[in-house]
Amino acid sequence: MIPLRIKVEANADRPFVVRLRSFEANAWEQRSEALNPFDAALERVGPEGADYVGEGGPIRVLGIDPFKVDGDVLLVNPRRGTADRLIRSASQHNTFLITERCDQVCLMCSQPPKKHHVDLFPYFETAALLAPEGATIGISGGEPTLFKAQLFRFLQSVLEARPDLSFHVLTNGQHFEEADRDAMGHIDRGRVVWGIPLYSHNPGVHDEIVGKAGAHARLLENLALMCRLGAQVELRTVLMRPNADGLLGLARFIASTLPFIRTWAVMQMENIGYGRMNWKTLFYDSSEGFDVVGRSIDLVRSRGIDAWLYNFPLCTLPEGYRHLAPATISDWKRAYREECNGCSLKARCGGFFEWHPPNHGYSNLGAIQ
Amino acid sequence: MKMRLFAIPSLLAAGFLPANAQALPTKPTLGGDLGKTKSLFDIFKLDHLYTLAGHSSHSSHSSHSSHSSHRSSTGGYSYIPPAPSESAPLYSAPSTPAPTYQAPAIAPVPAPLKTLPGNAYKFKEIVQEVQFALLAFGYYSGEIDGEMNPELRAGLLRMQADYSLKVTGTITPETLTALRIEAR
Repeated sequence: MIPLRIKVEANADRPFVVRLRSFEANAWEQRSEALNPFDAALERVGPEGADYVGEGGPIRVLGIDPFKVDGDVLLVNPRRGTADRLIRSASQHNTFLITERCDQVCLMCSQPPKKHHVDLFPYFETAALLAPEGATIGISGGEPTLFKAQLFRFLQSVLEARPDLSFHVLTNGQHFEEADRDAMGHIDRGRVVWGIPLYSHNPGVHDEIVGKAGAHARLLENLALMCRLGAQVELRTVLMRPNADGLLGLARFIASTLPFIRTWAVMQMENIGYGRMNWKTLFYDSSEGFDVVGRSIDLVRSRGIDAWLYNFPLCTLPEGYRHLAPATISDWKRAYREECNGCSLKARCGGFFEWHPPNHGYSNLGAIQ
Repeated sequence: MKMRLFAIPSLLAAGFLPANAQALPTKPTLGGDLGKTKSLFDIFKLDHLYTLAGHSSHSSHSSHSSHSSHRSSTGGYSYIPPAPSESAPLYSAPSTPAPTYQAPAIAPVPAPLKTLPGNAYKFKEIVQEVQFALLAFGYYSGEIDGEMNPELRAGLLRMQADYSLKVTGTITPETLTALRIEAR
């Protein structure tokens, strides 16, 4: 597992953002470029750690080789002697966790909400400006739009300053309002994708899954608003026992009512947080009952709407649907199982969530020759 | 310094030994004509495609009193606000007062990290060559896998010390030159 938090010693009294630069081997020529004030350059590596020096002074990184963190943007907490790797330069899966607060309590939530909130937007903004060229940064929570004023401001200013960046924002879609038209109008809509969950066309089923009465109705109103704003929507449906039977109904609903979405993503569950707690009642073995999934995907695709399968190990899918399953499990929580040894599809397969239980999951899986 | 005047060991000329550190300085301190003539070592010294810009020392910017670009948040990613009892920094400051890390007091400006195509691959290739070279000279016995690891870092430190190079534990141009590896 790739560590998202590392040990850092820095003699500072408050958290700060810094980008690590190694300039080793073939990268020496870049050292002649003027360093950004937020850069710290590698000076020496030894058993005691890796010493970096920036305009602000020295810091020491421990327990990980500099080549693994070269170009990373850290949020250092000097009090605790740790740093969060806000941006890992070698990764396609960088996500800023805006808050842990949420107004929904989804049955399969992988990141159960917490009350405590600290505003980190200034750090996120600094970090985003230091991101690698052309990066896509994920925004997640909790529910990021609980702080929508800051969020919209953050997106607008970063997208203006960095024309090469784009964002993927995960939100429950409950908090958009007609009054946000102005703020959202200032955000380059071509470079933000809003990932919004809809679990069923049946309000009762959806509301029960998200643990909030009226959520379905509010969501449909706001999806219409997103349509009027021209926002790019990735509609996300986690496949579970409570909504698997209704999946075809949802597909019809999408085709008839929500054709403006950019993507429909049918997703497998993640066995962590509430998802782990409720696994036995929720997990739907799509390797056995793929039929309803396949028909739903086919229907939506036949109407010219993009539909994909997220978090499905390739071996659990019929061959004809494997091309619709990109490797979506983030690098830092991706694992392969013993059964994966020798599989010819391993290189383009997202594998399993690190915490996927070995014994209660898919009944059909195994290496594909 | 006198070593420099002797013929290059044949093994070195054939590229099988790291250049002796004494061979590296381009400005001999001896007087007379010696300083003007280009030494064989200079002639044979590898030309890396890049030039290493002088690395200026960094002041600790004590004049920047605060961190005005960042607002008042004291927390962090799941940071617990400091309880009164833990108001002192957790890690103990070194006995000699260390310079403090003072985050820039300026507003951040866009500074994309440029990722040159093929750079990561090239880096791995060079690391592999360094691993092989250090293995050949007895400074390394690990895998030749193109990945930096603690043993390779330790080997670099020892090799750099033995050859009077700047001891950094990193792959510097002078280290590459000494190991006769070209970074192209």
